[in-house]
Amino acid sequence: MIWEVFRQEKTGDRHTHCGNVHAPDREMALMFAQIQHGRRMQTHSLWVAPKDEIAEVDADEAEFGGTTDKAYRWAMTYNNIDASFAEEVAESEAEQEEAAQKRGDV
Amino acid sequence: MPGDSPDSDLSPEEAQLLRLADDEFVLAERYTEWQIYAPTVESDLALANIAQDEFGHARLWYDLIQEEFGYEESELVWERAPDDFRHSTLVELETPEGDWADTVVRGYLYDVAERLRLDALADSSYEPIADRVPKVQGEESYHREHAQSWLDRLTGSGESHDRVQAAVNRLFPYALTLFSDTEHEAEILDAGVRTRPLSDLRSDWLDEVVSYLESLDIAVPHPADTERPDAVGRDGTHTADWDALHEEFTATYHELGFDEPATLRGENA
Repeated sequence: MIWEVFRQEKTGDRHTHCGNVHAPDREMALMFAQIQHGRRMQTHSLWVAPKDEIAEVDADEAEFGGTTDKAYRWAMTYNNIDASFAEEVAESEAEQEEAAQKRGDV
Repeated sequence: MPGDSPDSDLSPEEAQLLRLADDEFVLAERYTEWQIYAPTVESDLALANIAQDEFGHARLWYDLIQEEFGYEESELVWERAPDDFRHSTLVELETPEGDWADTVVRGYLYDVAERLRLDALADSSYEPIADRVPKVQGEESYHREHAQSWLDRLTGSGESHDRVQAAVNRLFPYALTLFSDTEHEAEILDAGVRTRPLSDLRSDWLDEVVSYLESLDIAVPHPADTERPDAVGRDGTHTADWDALHEEFTATYHELGFDEPATLRGENA
């Protein structure tokens, strides 16, 4: 029986699919997954799920989005402008940067 | 020094460390024999992982013996005579061909004893031992979980149940040698190197092992009715299986001639 394995690097992160293991049952699958997917990388948690229990729909059957070019939505023309002439822009940018740092995004 | 002098010259710390290191090293050697032959890729990896842990623990203890008592690695491992090793004969026995149950049972019997021993070393008066115990303890719990997961499943019914029973019958008398004491036992306790006597560890081990195996419908021989193997290991007596294994793992060392290194323009060059 094949069990798909999902690994979470640190608490709060998403569990990401990282491979699978063959095991007769859930407990053994967890035991093998620890070795195969948790031993060499920083790991906070592992999930295992029976492969058969995972449902799939793929691009042959469904119309997924994300295929049309929407580059026109990006106002690239203004990217390389030095905003220092406008104080309020510089302040706003500084605020955004600070907020991003607090969130831990940077 | 092992090989050069009788055991009575060993300090209690050295005597305790040699038992520890040799047990882990030799068991790891046996585990590695399953590489590429284990029942599935997953079980192969799991056992390789356990073997690697045991080698790591052996390395930890051998390094300590080298640092504190002035040995070279070659003296401890590659050039030590087979009857100077102090591991229990449980860990040296050859695995009957393809008998996974035998490996699982041996692992279980050993790992329970190992936990009890480490617990009794956690407060060792000898700090270098006490300092290293927690790292080893952390890894040993996976080993027990591994062995017990297999035992729970193998003892369900039919042939695998019979194989587990046969392995218990075969290995149990040898497992008792894990707790065989030597002339150093009193000193080890007096010095506080280990905080509990082997006889206590043995009785705790029996309580745990017997009740667990019986819960799986596996009969465990009564220690009093168990004939003791001639080879105990702790006193340097070993089985023929050990001679073969020792020859095998030292073969490359001797082939490469590390004991007589070639020197530039020397005779062996």
